[in-house]
Amino acid sequence: MFLQRLNPSYKAVTIIVFIIFLATIFEPVTPLLFLIWTLAVTFLFGGVSLKKYLLYFTPFIIFALGMLWTSIAFADTPNNPSDTISLFGTSLPKESVLTALALSLRVLNVAALSLMFVFTTNIVHFILSMMQQLKLPPRIAYGVLAGYRFLPMLKDELMIIHDAHRIRGVNQAKTMREKWQNYKRYLIPLLASAIRKAERTAMAMESKGFTGDKSRSFYRQFSIQKQDFIFSIIMLIGFTISYLISYQLG
Amino acid sequence: MNNWRFKEIVVMAALAVVFGVVYLAFLPLGSLLVGFMGPIGYDFIFGIWFIVSIIAAYILQKPGAAFLSETIAAMIEVLLGNAVGPMLIVTGMVQGIGAEAVFAATRWKNYSTWVLIAAGMGSSVTSFIYGYFMSGYAALATEYVIAMFVVRLISGALIAGLLGKALSEGLARTGALSSFALGKQQRKDAA
Repeated sequence: MFLQRLNPSYKAVTIIVFIIFLATIFEPVTPLLFLIWTLAVTFLFGGVSLKKYLLYFTPFIIFALGMLWTSIAFADTPNNPSDTISLFGTSLPKESVLTALALSLRVLNVAALSLMFVFTTNIVHFILSMMQQLKLPPRIAYGVLAGYRFLPMLKDELMIIHDAHRIRGVNQAKTMREKWQNYKRYLIPLLASAIRKAERTAMAMESKGFTGDKSRSFYRQFSIQKQDFIFSIIMLIGFTISYLISYQLG
Repeated sequence: MNNWRFKEIVVMAALAVVFGVVYLAFLPLGSLLVGFMGPIGYDFIFGIWFIVSIIAAYILQKPGAAFLSETIAAMIEVLLGNAVGPMLIVTGMVQGIGAEAVFAATRWKNYSTWVLIAAGMGSSVTSFIYGYFMSGYAALATEYVIAMFVVRLISGALIAGLLGKALSEGLARTGALSSFALGKQQRKDAA
């Protein structure tokens, strides 16, 4: 699909730019329309599975609802309090309600933009392309990728620590409180073994000739092509239309 | 970049992986708190997201450790599949700068308890300024915003500063840090 083929870094920077644009907007119409545009682009050009998408999107909806009611409850004093609309039998200042709506729609729109990236990008490619397009030092990029590979090892390590504790009879956690105590006991050994692993991995990489030199060659080459510009133009059109419609409505 | 040993970068990445999981575990908790209490819900537990800065800076005691470690942690979180996506890297950098500024003020020489607490609060300050613009706190009542800021400062001081210090020292006692600044310092103190 189109979104999957884009350059990961270019896509990330484009999305960050639009998130910053959104932060300057305090009325609800633009984020609502741009949210619809973002969702349309995600599903038309990304072929994302709806079920998976909803699973990730739902927490943001809860978050946005929380934002909505508190932004109304703790709103800044409105400029003209006489201008009210009634909602659930109580009259609220119109200005506060609109701002609250704007903030929660912003949360949803930022979430939709982020998910558009997350669902259509191979994140390892993202790190590799950050090195090629965004001048991320190779030492950091490969350090991060090496660290990422520790994750399954740490899972095994956690089981070993768990069993080691258990064999010595300290692990009969039944209540939530005892389980929490157990996790505290796991953290230090887990961190210690992670640090030892990191030292060994770094030494192994350096002994095999990794210097972190910037003029290195890459097995996977990433470049910025015409389609990347097309993507940013599509997003810019969506944002401009949303903004103009909202401007027309006042 | 040249005064960094590759070993130290991978160690920061390893710390970031462990805490990346912890960070991700706290996100739904934060969202739930926000659902009930509004934006202030996050502030109670916000300090947990700065803890890598404090731990890495305290262990490595080098210029840039706080900033770099938080940035790396954000990258790892994105790798682990965080829904916040690329914006998280920007957030991580902003948080790292706050702690780094405090260590820079001591010329990266002083790592006493008070400095670590101040560094945790430094991250609270920069992350709050960032949140003020990105999440539109400007639309909220001033008292509420001040309450949020105070709660976040306390959270940064306690969770990032004190807990971070305690964890680093616990780690040093295991001997795993023998080739890093904190481990060396502890050996010197013991001798």
